[in-house]
Amino acid sequence: MFRCPGTDRPPLTFQWTDRTAEIQMRQLQFMQSNTFRWASAVTGVFAVFVIVLFGFIYLKIDDYLVARTDRMIATQIDYIAALPPERRLDAITDHLRQDSRGVQFAGLFGVGGHRIAGNMAKLPSGLEVDVPAQSAKVVRLDQADRGEQKARAIARRMQNGDVLVIGRKVDEATEISHVVGQALALGLLPAFCLCLLAGAWLSVRAQKRVEEVNQRVQRIIAGDLRERLPHRNLDDPFSKLAAIVNGMLDEMETMINALAGVGNDIAHDLRTPLTSARLALERGRTNATSLEQLQAGVDKAITGIDQSLTIITALLRLAEIENSRRSAGFSSVPLHEMLREVCDIYEPIAENKNIALRVHVDQNLNVRGDRDLLVEAVANLVDNAIKFTPEGGRVDLGLLRDDGKTIVGVTDTGPGISDEEHEAVLRRFYRSDKMRNTPGVGLGLNLVAAIVKLHGFRLAIHPGPGGRLEIICPDS
Amino acid sequence: MAFAKSDSRIAGVLAAIENRLMTKVLLIEDDSETAEEITAELTERGFEVEWSANGIEGLDKAHALRPDAMIVDRLLPGMDGLTVIEALRNDHMRTPVLVLSALGAVDDRVRGLRMGGDDYLTKPFAVVELIARIDALLRRPAESRETTLRAGPLELDLIGRTARRGDRVIDLLPREFRLLEYMMRRSDQLLTRAMLLEEVWNYKFVPATNLVDVHMGRLRHKVDGPGETPLIHNVRGVGFILRVTS
Repeated sequence: MFRCPGTDRPPLTFQWTDRTAEIQMRQLQFMQSNTFRWASAVTGVFAVFVIVLFGFIYLKIDDYLVARTDRMIATQIDYIAALPPERRLDAITDHLRQDSRGVQFAGLFGVGGHRIAGNMAKLPSGLEVDVPAQSAKVVRLDQADRGEQKARAIARRMQNGDVLVIGRKVDEATEISHVVGQALALGLLPAFCLCLLAGAWLSVRAQKRVEEVNQRVQRIIAGDLRERLPHRNLDDPFSKLAAIVNGMLDEMETMINALAGVGNDIAHDLRTPLTSARLALERGRTNATSLEQLQAGVDKAITGIDQSLTIITALLRLAEIENSRRSAGFSSVPLHEMLREVCDIYEPIAENKNIALRVHVDQNLNVRGDRDLLVEAVANLVDNAIKFTPEGGRVDLGLLRDDGKTIVGVTDTGPGISDEEHEAVLRRFYRSDKMRNTPGVGLGLNLVAAIVKLHGFRLAIHPGPGGRLEIICPDS
Repeated sequence: MAFAKSDSRIAGVLAAIENRLMTKVLLIEDDSETAEEITAELTERGFEVEWSANGIEGLDKAHALRPDAMIVDRLLPGMDGLTVIEALRNDHMRTPVLVLSALGAVDDRVRGLRMGGDDYLTKPFAVVELIARIDALLRRPAESRETTLRAGPLELDLIGRTARRGDRVIDLLPREFRLLEYMMRRSDQLLTRAMLLEEVWNYKFVPATNLVDVHMGRLRHKVDGPGETPLIHNVRGVGFILRVTS
């Protein structure tokens, strides 16, 4: 089942009858969808980043303005303090007159703290004298109603004991930060909305595709094995995934079709002996005039039933091997001895067909495996080779080492297996068309393949004429 | 399953079994249909059969009845078949046991039974096969130190690896010698193809080609010369017997 990522309910597998309910459901789903959540999270992170950036810009501007102000008032106080006392008052007046924006402060205070000149109501409290620029709270004479204003100021004691104060308002920094903040907010809001919209769009799109996939999958579940998932271009990860799943579906369709074929084969192979058994019984019942004739019919029927039983046993055996996990019982198997044993058992059968059965062992070789199963595999290969080799031919059993691999080879002078038949011979019950009339259950090579696979070995089939099959055992 | 149920020839072949009347067999099997069938077949052949449908009860009966042989299903309610056997062995009861196992359930423990002198059979099986194996278990050949085997006119020198029938020397290949030795140790006993494959050739599976028949054909050709009374008999669809008592 496909599940919508990030949600706990399988999407849209329910049959909704109420259209509005469906729409509400979808809205809810897109809010819950992973894509949308990601988009929201990214938007949030973006907003935080912008706010931090704003703060940083504000601090930097503030710093810069204060430093500039400090330099300006230091220059001014140096200038005024250097003047002779009688010109100071004029200089202060001039200085204030030039200040059209009303940001400058200046004042001269007597020893008792009383004002002599300037626009400051009094000496700012806490303002230290003869130190570099510092923050101060100043009240202007002409703007007394605005109360104390933030400023940077320097106080210096003159030779006659008066205190000269020069200052400058720093509200400008706050104003600039307001402007910058507003600009950022104006820019941020649409960006934020855009992000959310994009998230919602992506989420809805993903939902739609999941729904599309779900519909197709439902059709596959319903039995339409030819259905495939939609994909557009392979650059898109979703399409890539769909292509991968389609590949898997191709493989499964082939397998299922093959399986159906196997079912037919089994039915056919079981039907033949059962039909002959039935026929023998029927004939015996109708035609037999003596006990011997009846027994002959029954014997024939038993042979037919035995054949069916052999097929069933072989099938069960195949299933047993395919399902077994016997590697725990593996031990070292001397292949040279095993090949000689198999040869010894099959020699009389080969002789009956006038076939020369020989073993060629270069050196004594062992592999890790299950002896009984390996004997079964090799015996099946030899059995097959003898069966398909015409009279007067040869069957050779070989054991050799090649490039870190131990190879058991069975070569015969029979018709061999053509390239087109490679896959097919490993299908259950397959028998070459040329050999349809040769007795045998046709499961032999399947058993060999299953045993070889269980051991982690490989079965190699070399093309004819002259069959050669190899069990390749890599050193583990 | 019982496709050789009332074959008169098999009944004749198994006459030897019927001679030993009232041999007690304990059957522990939970499937009543299978149990009834086995019981009927064994009773027909002169065995006295006691049936138990669960492991614990079966173990009690084994202690009480002291049977000559037991047939035990691998999967049993109450107590697993192999556990029943273990319990018996712990009580020093050497009763031979034939275990019935599903084909897919043959593991190393089941396979090990043959080493321990017991036997196993996979379902589905032919009842003749079951009876032949029970008979083989009941008549396990004693481990003899004799160097010469004799069965009727046959004589086998285990040291010199030579065979004679009366005065005639039989020239045997090693594999034929092994087969004849096995048959002589179990003369007058029905040997199924599967038994021969397992015991003589150490084959744990039934090959597609009827290997046993080919080997047996060659041996018979050498053992039963022209004009001589045939000793090796083929029991159709089942196996072979070396008959030395007339």
